[in-house]
Amino acid sequence: MERAKFSGRLSLPVTVLLLVLPFATVFASLFFGRYHLSLNEVILSVFGSDSIPLTSRVTVLQLRLPRAIAAAFVGASLAVSGAAFQSVFRNPLVNSGILGVSNGAGFGACLAIVFFGGGVFTYIFSFVFAVAAVVLSCFAGRVSRVTTSVTMILGGVIVGAFFSALVSIMKFVADPYSQLPSITFWFMGSFASVNYSHLYAALPMSIGMLMIFLSRWKLNVLSMGEREASSLGVDVRKAQILIIGGATLCTASAVCISGTIGWVGLVIPHIGRMITGNSNQKLIPVSISLGSSFMVIMDLLSRTLTGSEIPIGILCALIGTPFFVYLLKKTKGGFRA
Amino acid sequence: MILQIDNLSFSYDNTPLISGLSLSADKGEIVSLLGPNGSGKTTLLDCILGFHKNISGNVKVCDKDVLSLSRPELAKLVSYVPQTHTPVFPYTVREIVLMGRTAQSGLLGAPGKEDFEKCDFAIARIGIGHFADKPYTSLSGGERKLVLLARALAQKAPLIVLDEPTSSLDFKNELLFLEILTDLVRSDGISAVMATHDLQHPLYFESQGIKTKAVMLCKNSRIRTGCPGKIITAETLLDVYGVIASIQEIKCEDGRVLKTIAVLGNKIK
Repeated sequence: MERAKFSGRLSLPVTVLLLVLPFATVFASLFFGRYHLSLNEVILSVFGSDSIPLTSRVTVLQLRLPRAIAAAFVGASLAVSGAAFQSVFRNPLVNSGILGVSNGAGFGACLAIVFFGGGVFTYIFSFVFAVAAVVLSCFAGRVSRVTTSVTMILGGVIVGAFFSALVSIMKFVADPYSQLPSITFWFMGSFASVNYSHLYAALPMSIGMLMIFLSRWKLNVLSMGEREASSLGVDVRKAQILIIGGATLCTASAVCISGTIGWVGLVIPHIGRMITGNSNQKLIPVSISLGSSFMVIMDLLSRTLTGSEIPIGILCALIGTPFFVYLLKKTKGGFRA
Repeated sequence: MILQIDNLSFSYDNTPLISGLSLSADKGEIVSLLGPNGSGKTTLLDCILGFHKNISGNVKVCDKDVLSLSRPELAKLVSYVPQTHTPVFPYTVREIVLMGRTAQSGLLGAPGKEDFEKCDFAIARIGIGHFADKPYTSLSGGERKLVLLARALAQKAPLIVLDEPTSSLDFKNELLFLEILTDLVRSDGISAVMATHDLQHPLYFESQGIKTKAVMLCKNSRIRTGCPGKIITAETLLDVYGVIASIQEIKCEDGRVLKTIAVLGNKIK
């Protein structure tokens, strides 16, 4: 009994549950939507049967499935990078967008929409500028000889503000009848236009998540502060590059396929802490599982609740916040001492 | 020699803080670093921990220059008990002690079976098993210090560096900490360098009959190194601190002779 607790790992039933949960939610989301499909139709579509109408198959395999998979990857990416940033920057208030990712990506998207007519350029530009924002933030935070988590966060805030000003300029020059609405909707976040070609973004997200997953033990040590982490044998610079690099791959890819969804990267890690405690050895896998399941469910709700789609960024905050408060009251906050 | 410092000098922004310090620590020896605030105790510890790169002179641990070693390599030779601090996230005591095993796994590694055993051993050795599964942040100052000592022990380094470990502890916990440290040095052959403001500490170590020496750092005076009884004298205290004091000897019934410092007053009125 004592042993199991001591290994710092998740118990077997919990591990199985966490592994099954994202797949179960993705599978479940295939059954719901405005186009009504019977249980049989969905199952036969998934297994590639020709005995059901083409429309049904297209709905399940070309619309609902890629969308659910994208939501799962985006949710996992945002949650896991939020958890990683909270430890690296030793700050529980930090979220996945702390290094200016969202505003950088937003500016990229604006550029693409205003000057190149959107389309595939939106994804490329938002990814490139998201990465550029992180690099700039790290650079800004390193001006002084010692880089501390405070100067890094400050760098992120400043670079974020800079890109947000650039976004405002773009909104100002954008055509108010065609381009401005596109920009606004992009910022609200949506999976509405996702198809299989977007799932290329799953590759950088997977690489980023793997980088963080493999560093999960070091995250605990890094959260003790740079001095202590160094004295315990962590090459802090290398570890930071690995983790921030991984988180950047995750968030930049996530933001470029779904727009900005800020809430998940802050709150899912905290929900994870309430459930399994603070050790990142458990928290990182838990965040991946919860983040993906949560996002799939939110996307499902966003496309089924009302006649027209509710932007998912709005829905996440509207439904997630009360849920978070409920958990906080119920568990008395795993975060508190 | 476990620790060998030769002619070490260090300046902060061209202001010399440590100049020409030589010091050594044998296996199973405690070195007490003494001196007024700002005299360079923590700076010297930082030099041993390899945090200052622009030093002149040599700092060697187990015959290896600390600046030539990677972080994991150095962590296998020197462990560190920092001043009191509160981590941002409330990890359990076990999770904190397990951090001592970090250097044993690579950049991407995580602790394995052997590390859990070493961690178990350190917890038992320091005697903190009864609160091993509590959150570190819920502990008292004295308990926290023991956890950090256990973490340093789990690191299995031959040298432990301690930065004012008893500064926030009450009368009893202070003694408890010193007793455990003395026992580690005596029984396990660990060496320690400990910065402290309490001049009684080096005298305590001397009275316990373990190998020990004291270093008195002072900005405006020469560095004094030697056995505690020779360093802590009325003359030194007046010169370094400007405090008039008298060192008294107390003969115990069991034959031990204990030294204690009686403070008479401040020179500068």
